[in-house]
Amino acid sequence: MKKFLAVVKREYLARVRTKMFIVSTILLPLVMSLFGIVPAVILNIDAGSLVRVAVVDQTGKIYPELQQALATEESDAQDPNDPVGNASRGLTRKGSGNFQLEEVNVTGRSNEEIQAELAQRLRARQLDSYLILPPDFLDRGEAEFFNQNPGDVMSRRILESALERAVRERRLIDAKVDSKTREELFQPIDLQSVKVGATGQERDSGGSFAVVFGIGFVMYLAILMYGQIILGAVIEEKETRIAEILFSSVKPFTLMMGKLVGVSFVALTQLAIWGLAFSAFALYGTGVLAARGLPSHVPSIPLAHYIYFGLFFLLGYFMYATIYALVGSMVTTAQEGGQLAMPIILILVVSFYLFFPVSRSPDSSFAFWVSMIPFSAPVAMLVRIVTQTPPFWQIALSLVIGFSSVLVIMWIASRVYRVGMLMYGKRASIPEAWRWARQA
Amino acid sequence: MAASETTVKLERVSKSFGEFTAVRELSLDVRAGRVFGLLGPNGAGKTTTIRMIVNITAPDSGSISLFGRKIDPKLQDRIGYLPEERGLYRRMRIIDQLRFFAELKNVRGKQIDSKIDEWLARVKLSEWKNKRSMELSKGMQQKIQFITSVIHDPDLLILDEPFSGLDPINTELLKEIVLDLKRAGKTIIFSTHQMEVAERICDDICLLNRAQKIFEGSLREIKRSFGRNSVSVRCEGGDGVLDDPALVSKLVRHADEAQALLASGADAQNLLKRLLDTGAVIGKFEMVEPSLNDIFITKVTESA
Repeated sequence: MKKFLAVVKREYLARVRTKMFIVSTILLPLVMSLFGIVPAVILNIDAGSLVRVAVVDQTGKIYPELQQALATEESDAQDPNDPVGNASRGLTRKGSGNFQLEEVNVTGRSNEEIQAELAQRLRARQLDSYLILPPDFLDRGEAEFFNQNPGDVMSRRILESALERAVRERRLIDAKVDSKTREELFQPIDLQSVKVGATGQERDSGGSFAVVFGIGFVMYLAILMYGQIILGAVIEEKETRIAEILFSSVKPFTLMMGKLVGVSFVALTQLAIWGLAFSAFALYGTGVLAARGLPSHVPSIPLAHYIYFGLFFLLGYFMYATIYALVGSMVTTAQEGGQLAMPIILILVVSFYLFFPVSRSPDSSFAFWVSMIPFSAPVAMLVRIVTQTPPFWQIALSLVIGFSSVLVIMWIASRVYRVGMLMYGKRASIPEAWRWARQA
Repeated sequence: MAASETTVKLERVSKSFGEFTAVRELSLDVRAGRVFGLLGPNGAGKTTTIRMIVNITAPDSGSISLFGRKIDPKLQDRIGYLPEERGLYRRMRIIDQLRFFAELKNVRGKQIDSKIDEWLARVKLSEWKNKRSMELSKGMQQKIQFITSVIHDPDLLILDEPFSGLDPINTELLKEIVLDLKRAGKTIIFSTHQMEVAERICDDICLLNRAQKIFEGSLREIKRSFGRNSVSVRCEGGDGVLDDPALVSKLVRHADEAQALLASGADAQNLLKRLLDTGAVIGKFEMVEPSLNDIFITKVTESA
């Protein structure tokens, strides 16, 4: 036991003291927040100036409505009830304020004359685009939009929706619908998502999806990262030939377990730091938003979820890290280790992508089964817990199945490890490793 | 400990890996307070034998006892083992590594640090204490590895090719330490295929070849049993005589002299007479003990 603790201590200190640990501890939250912030910032960069649009209204009735519709789109943009909103919607709103409409006087001129003149102005860069609404536009709903930059999909989309609205408005006016009724008809609806949990209701504006995704991602990343660390550590001991000295003092099983447990403490230390950083950031962030008059809240995470996260992380970690230790003892160099570990990474990646179907329907039988299979349980069950907490017996069953499989894998791994660590020269084949495992 | 006490006893120990038999029916006694040479060519089963003594692998059959007891993991703490394949953690400081290895032998507390200082001073590496092992030369690392095997003051020290790759000065340094430990009453098992080294430091030897023991006993006795059937000769002329297979079974020419192993039935007097008869001018004619190397080669060829 003392020897086991000595191994645990060495592994822990040797890892925590590295620059790698310090850098990754600080960097990951930074990178994650960058991934959250940078795209929004970039998409919101207002590179262009006003979009100047000339409108040829051959129906003679749409222009005022179009102007008004565009203005309404603009005012919608400042909707304060939706602080989370996704990036593309944010962009739409941003763009709508940037139109400068100009009505082209059509009287007494032929279609060709007008078009020629507008095309001329477009080339001279006095205009960015022009819109031709034919006389039968109100009936057929077909118009043409000429521009120099077909890549500006956003402007076209905004214009399209404004036009649609304008046409509807015009048709209603023609049908003699009074202005009050029209206003009521266009009253936008607001679909608010309310999560019904065991303890009550909680208003939710999409933030919890981000949290679920974040948790799933951190889980996956931590398992992958710390599995690789175990792989590296085992290969180091084999490559540098320390294993034989160690085996003359400790049992291989003690050494392997000491390593796994020591590194798990490193992982938990790092996750705890991230957890605290996240909580602090969340508190600070809500504070800042509230100060700006933007009501927002970070979805509250119950304490039980932190505990479940810890448990399922340990499950996933011991599952994969033990396999990594097994692989490490079979190979002779880090390169070979990387190759032999590919299938493991593949399984891990697939089980991470199960996140999406599981989070969409956490109560389905598919979600149930993948959260019972030990390889995918850590991410799948955690997603289920956070989205739509399953009955406790399912969580317990998943943990029992998981940790039992971990024990079986550890037993196999320790037997392969015992022999493999002292086999130098060539990489062991899988049948060979299997024979080692069965040897007394 | 009395000199007659047995530190390690192997009785009819066998070990095989699949089809391959690494050690077959091996019995040996390692006496306390002596240097026991475990000799043999590569692949003879030396490392496997050692691994079984250290309790890294278990024998398929037979029994091994240490200090008069059946081996168990607790006894590991009384053994110091320097394997042939050895290394250090590259990024760990020397002091931390030595502390860690001592802890693995259940030595902890304050006395570790003074022990470490003592040993580092003895191998002349004190100023490297806080360096990482990757900053040390190979020879320096080897001395640190040696310390890892003695830091816990073991009663039985097992050294597998401890001097390979060391320069003569450091070889001499470690050899002195080994002999000091022997004087302090420690038992040392010394495994090598370098016969000259073994000859200079072993009291007892055991020759292994192809998984089996060829012979075992004290170095003195073995040499005596071989008799003085070797002659060191320096002479001018008389070449044909030395090449006569009836007289000389094996001839090794060095720079200015030759080592002649007498054929069975031939005697040295006869050889000298024949040389003088052919008019050779003799500079040196000396009966010498066979070298361990000669014994080894003879024995190995005999057993094949």
